[in-house]
Amino acid sequence: MSMTSTIIRTHDLWKQYETEGHDGMALRGVDLDIGKGQIVVLFGKSGSGKTTLLNLLAGLDEPTRGRIEIDNGDLGTLGEKGRTLLRRHKLGFVFQFFNLLPTLTAEENVLLSLELAGRPDEGLARESLELVGLAGKERRFPHELSGGEQQRVAIARALVKRPPIILADEPTGNLDSATGAQILALLTGRCREAGTTLIMVSHALNTCEYADRVLRMTDGRIFEEISCEGLAP
Amino acid sequence: MTTRPALLLRALAGLIVLVLLWSLFAGLPRDLFGQGWRQAEATRQWSFPRDHGSHPEYRTEWWYFTGNLADSEGKRYGYQLTFFRYGLALEAQDPSSSWSVRDVYLAHFAITDASRGGFHWRDRASRKGPGLAGAATGTMDIHVLNWSARMKDDGRITLKAAQDGMELDLNLTPAKPPVLHGRQGLSRKGPRPGQASHYYSFTDLTARGTLRVPGMKDPVAVKGTSWFDQEFGSNQLSQEQAGWDWFALHLSDGRDLMIYYLRRKDGTFERESSGTLVERDGTSRHLALGDIETEVLSHWKSAKTAGRYPAAWRIRVPAAAIDVTVRPLVADQELVTTASTGITYWEGAVDGRGTSGEKEVSAEGYVELTGYAGSLGGKF
Amino acid sequence: MRSVIRSFLRYLARRKSLSILQLLGIALGVAAAVGMMLASRSALESLGSAVDFLKGGTTHTIARPAGPMEETVLAGIMRDPAVRYFAPVIDRKVRLTGGQQIRMLGLDPFLDRNVRSITARIGASAGDGRTGEAFSSFLFDPGAVLVDENMARGLNLSAGSAIATLQGPLNVVHVFSNPSGEPLMIIDVGHAQKFFRMRGYVDRADLVVTDEEAFRQRWATGFTIESNTQKARNLSALLGAFKLNLEALSLFALFVGIFLIYNTAMFAVVSRRRDAGIFLAIGASRGQVAGAFLVEVLILGVAGGALGGVLGYFLSKFLVEIVGGTISTLYFFLRPSALPWSSWNLAGGVFLGSAASIVGSLPPLLELRRVRPVHVLRGRTATRGTSKRMRTIALFGTACLALALVLFGLSFLHAYVGFAGAFAFLLGASFFAGFVIIVATPGMKRLFSRVMGLAGRIAIGNIRENLGRTSVAVAAFMIALSMSIGLGSMIDSFRRSLVWWMDSQLRGDLYISTKADVNVPEELYEELKTVPGIGGIDVFRNVPITFRGRPASITSIDASVLERYDRFGWLEGGDGSWERVKRGDVIVSESFSRRFKVGTGSRITIETARGPAELLVAGVYYDYASEHGVVMMDRSVYLRLFRDRTINSLGIFIDEGNQDRAKIIEEVKRRARSFGLPFATREEFHGRILDIFDSTFAVTRSMRVLAVIVAFFGIAGALMTLFVERQKEFGVYRALGFTTGDVARMTVAESLGLGLISFLMSAVVGTVFALILIKVINLQSFNWTIFYHFTARPYVVTGLTALAASLAACAYPVWSVVRKYPVMQIREE
Repeated sequence: MSMTSTIIRTHDLWKQYETEGHDGMALRGVDLDIGKGQIVVLFGKSGSGKTTLLNLLAGLDEPTRGRIEIDNGDLGTLGEKGRTLLRRHKLGFVFQFFNLLPTLTAEENVLLSLELAGRPDEGLARESLELVGLAGKERRFPHELSGGEQQRVAIARALVKRPPIILADEPTGNLDSATGAQILALLTGRCREAGTTLIMVSHALNTCEYADRVLRMTDGRIFEEISCEGLAP
Repeated sequence: MTTRPALLLRALAGLIVLVLLWSLFAGLPRDLFGQGWRQAEATRQWSFPRDHGSHPEYRTEWWYFTGNLADSEGKRYGYQLTFFRYGLALEAQDPSSSWSVRDVYLAHFAITDASRGGFHWRDRASRKGPGLAGAATGTMDIHVLNWSARMKDDGRITLKAAQDGMELDLNLTPAKPPVLHGRQGLSRKGPRPGQASHYYSFTDLTARGTLRVPGMKDPVAVKGTSWFDQEFGSNQLSQEQAGWDWFALHLSDGRDLMIYYLRRKDGTFERESSGTLVERDGTSRHLALGDIETEVLSHWKSAKTAGRYPAAWRIRVPAAAIDVTVRPLVADQELVTTASTGITYWEGAVDGRGTSGEKEVSAEGYVELTGYAGSLGGKF
Repeated sequence: MRSVIRSFLRYLARRKSLSILQLLGIALGVAAAVGMMLASRSALESLGSAVDFLKGGTTHTIARPAGPMEETVLAGIMRDPAVRYFAPVIDRKVRLTGGQQIRMLGLDPFLDRNVRSITARIGASAGDGRTGEAFSSFLFDPGAVLVDENMARGLNLSAGSAIATLQGPLNVVHVFSNPSGEPLMIIDVGHAQKFFRMRGYVDRADLVVTDEEAFRQRWATGFTIESNTQKARNLSALLGAFKLNLEALSLFALFVGIFLIYNTAMFAVVSRRRDAGIFLAIGASRGQVAGAFLVEVLILGVAGGALGGVLGYFLSKFLVEIVGGTISTLYFFLRPSALPWSSWNLAGGVFLGSAASIVGSLPPLLELRRVRPVHVLRGRTATRGTSKRMRTIALFGTACLALALVLFGLSFLHAYVGFAGAFAFLLGASFFAGFVIIVATPGMKRLFSRVMGLAGRIAIGNIRENLGRTSVAVAAFMIALSMSIGLGSMIDSFRRSLVWWMDSQLRGDLYISTKADVNVPEELYEELKTVPGIGGIDVFRNVPITFRGRPASITSIDASVLERYDRFGWLEGGDGSWERVKRGDVIVSESFSRRFKVGTGSRITIETARGPAELLVAGVYYDYASEHGVVMMDRSVYLRLFRDRTINSLGIFIDEGNQDRAKIIEEVKRRARSFGLPFATREEFHGRILDIFDSTFAVTRSMRVLAVIVAFFGIAGALMTLFVERQKEFGVYRALGFTTGDVARMTVAESLGLGLISFLMSAVVGTVFALILIKVINLQSFNWTIFYHFTARPYVVTGLTALAASLAACAYPVWSVVRKYPVMQIREE
């Protein structure tokens, strides 16, 4: 455990399944304590509740029971507006399926982040793309970019607003291992530089190399692990 | 004066008058079907009351009433009620139909309101139809819609007319017997044969009745003197004639004077212009053009039509020791039928004074001036 | 927010064909409503101006309660102090040999100039000798007429032309200008009397009255005096039901248009789910996302609305002709001119389009609130549709249907209530579309499997999978098809009822002079009475009256003849009622009975030539002759009360068993011909009535077509969206081994599946709709009973329409498939 201050804390978090065909709880009493600047990896099989947890942390969903504190703010007391603002200013998102807006160019996709944060700055957006190695491809639409390039744009979008926290859901899930490794290096590197807290949900074992902490999720519960050894991919 | 539709509405009346007067003055001795109207060429045998009625064998005929009246407060009025019959066909085409046209009947109705300076007039036209208009033969019984003139068995004439706030209801009693003008009633209008009409008058009728002008709540009782002309013929005005001036005056000594000037375009008077002087006892004598001297003392210009009318006259008949000066009671007594036809004439009440047979007399009567706002002769 | 909006709007640009399709759909919906409203309005304005033009300065008219007025009355009117001006008028129709009916006024130019500008203006072009000639021809030539410029233009006439009519030849002496659209002829009143064989009579006198009360006091007994406001109100009342139905039709069109916008908005929401999820995840607020949707929908709504406004204007020109024709056939002449183009059309269209956009996109926007970025981001773009959701929707639907029932119950209050109920019904039914799809899927799968193999089964499965979208498309299509079936069924039922009515009430073997305004001279009637072999001659006279301030009519017949030969349909009373009719009572039509709430035993008071008369009602019969109601009496009673001997037509009845039937009919025809009167056999007469009936529904038919076209765009839009979004799946299909042909068949099967479901649903909904139209709407608007009669035709026609529309809707997607499929791969995104 690092000695830095806590930026994310959950207390006895429970979440009920809402889709058909699932009874019971997706999360069963999850307690989390993540410090500022930490890079945390969250392992687990599909359906183990990893994405559910991410969505709860981002304020996109509400827990059935329990408390979530982000940067000393209780998520439960924030209204929809408060959570929206949270996502605007304090959180960056990187998804598995890139999730770029298909009708906006790479530059516009990145700029979107800044616009929402209230500081539209085209220069900054372009710079951000440069930093992820996409200089010259600002005006390309997503369908004109490779999978790896699309993920880079997503990372640029998340990073450009300098959020304290970045949540990444299987950031390399859709990429070949070589590209995936590049992306991981880029993402974690940038976060370290900026002191951004990064929580990654992943299948890939090589993710552990870049992480400060490894957490395993099984049947809705969290277990702390020392390393990735022995973890099933 | 009138609303726009009303002005428009006069257009057809104007057309009718146009057609009629065109035929009248441009001279078709034949009716529309080529048949012949009787001409006023020779003197005729007169018989009253039969000749107070209609003479359908002649094309044109009118019954012309004018008069000067006053109410109990002394307020002065003048009136004119004229009935025209104009023959379009000698015989109705379809006698079984009441609408089949033989004659067209027109009427003019005017009241001069001297004390208020007002002049009101209306006109109308109709065919005979089912009792809508008509002039009986054998007695005076004429009506055009609800304006009528009827002579009763005792010789008194009732006049009735009403329209848009104007009302007239008079009983007229002849004070003198009928006077034949010209030669035995044959009054010449021009040198050519046929340019004449048969013409007589009741020059002195005592009038009594009621009258109303627009603005008055109730009719007011009036009395005074009236003049009646009946004239019929199929005559024509020649191209050289511009119009006529006609005077009908009562003098307070009991004499009546009728003068008829036909004006030519060149400014001279037609030689056949003439007059009639009626004495107190009813006897009359014909006056030739040379017997009368008339001096126009002033003029009046109509703002509406730009016509320049004589507006005061000094009339002298030396042979009868008559010297009177008369003026209109109201300056504007002009009847403008429509802009389209240009038939505009001035007909108004006049009065004045002078001498007759060395005695001071007052005079009152009517004057008719035609052809001053666009000549009639030149129109056709 | 700019980027959000930009992101959405680029979809519009990218998916041009889909956007255009949606735009067109909205445009047509708006065009239908705008076109109908403009046509309606121009008809009413023409009515107003025609009335104004003809009435001129008149304030009142005076006439006998029925039949023409003796001309001797005029002298009395002339003398009345309350009358400022009066003018006799003969107002009849002339039938030209070409078949056209033209209105002819018999006027006296001397008197008429005081009340009307037409006659005044004729004289205004004086100054040339020719007008003088024209005027004297007018007075003296019995065939001289003035014609108005419309008629002159239409028939290529000018001064000097001759016109051939059934009643004799006419010569044109002058052409006059006429601001109202109605072709008009003017003839001298005396000549009119001769032409129409009404010597000594006029139809009415037009008056300018200065003291209405005093005049009425003196003249009311035995005469009908109408002021101009009364007249205008009457004319308007005559059109009452017709206007109402026009309005309803335009609202229906708009309703379908709104549905389309709802469609469009729903698609937008549903297909942008993923993007919405992204936006929400990265910090956009729901308000911003909803705003962007609204902008997208509004752009389509405004653009579509503007286009619709323009299209609607052109459509109105077409509709105006039809509306005018129908009014002229049924009520009185009206040839409305299309309103000139005004930018209000555009503004109105835009307003309608925008308003409809907002209304139509409300439910989808509310749907937006439920977008779960959670699920969306995991790649689940399709929604299966939870049964819970379906249940809520079904509940909505049931509520609407319940509301509809309530409204029908209250429909006697006002016709609008009935219309509202019909709307509620259609809306409620549309909510069940999803439910029907779910229920129909298993059966459809089996059917399509059988017919089209695997492709077919997958297609039906797709329909079920994309319930969110397909249910909306089916709902829109179903409504349009239901309208088509409902209207078609109603018209067919009406026609059937009409035929039944004709067979029961119009059973003469020969009818003389059934054409309006050609009367039968009494001599012919007397003559025919002497022809041996005729079983009975019915003497028919129909005259419009005002009853309790509303339009109605009186029909005079020969009760003994009808008793013997006709088989009236009775609501109250029965064949026994004829006896009472013979003795002086009356029977009334169903419309009359419902409208004025009278029945057997009631006493009604009618204004007659001798003052008010009280009559006893002996029965109520079914009738479609007039929706305003008819009072039927025996001729003896009519003559006694109205002293009007006019005969409008004669019905000749010959006994069944008579061998010489054909000869007798020939003899009657010969005599009719000698009087120059037209005649028609029973078949011909019935046929003519049916022709009029058919032409009456021309407007309704046009709207039917329009509604289907509008909904077609809905289905096409749905297919296009589904197709466009599932392009990713095509990569998978290709990898799995489906050929281009397979996928093409799948697309066709989807379209046909949607069409079939829509049609099946519309068969039920349409039938109920037909019943609503018959039992509620028609009854409330026109006050007559139509008997529902099932015919297959509306269903067949609608079915074929559904088939054709479905095939047309999938044409573009199939073509796209054929073009793009061979190169499709699995894509990452």
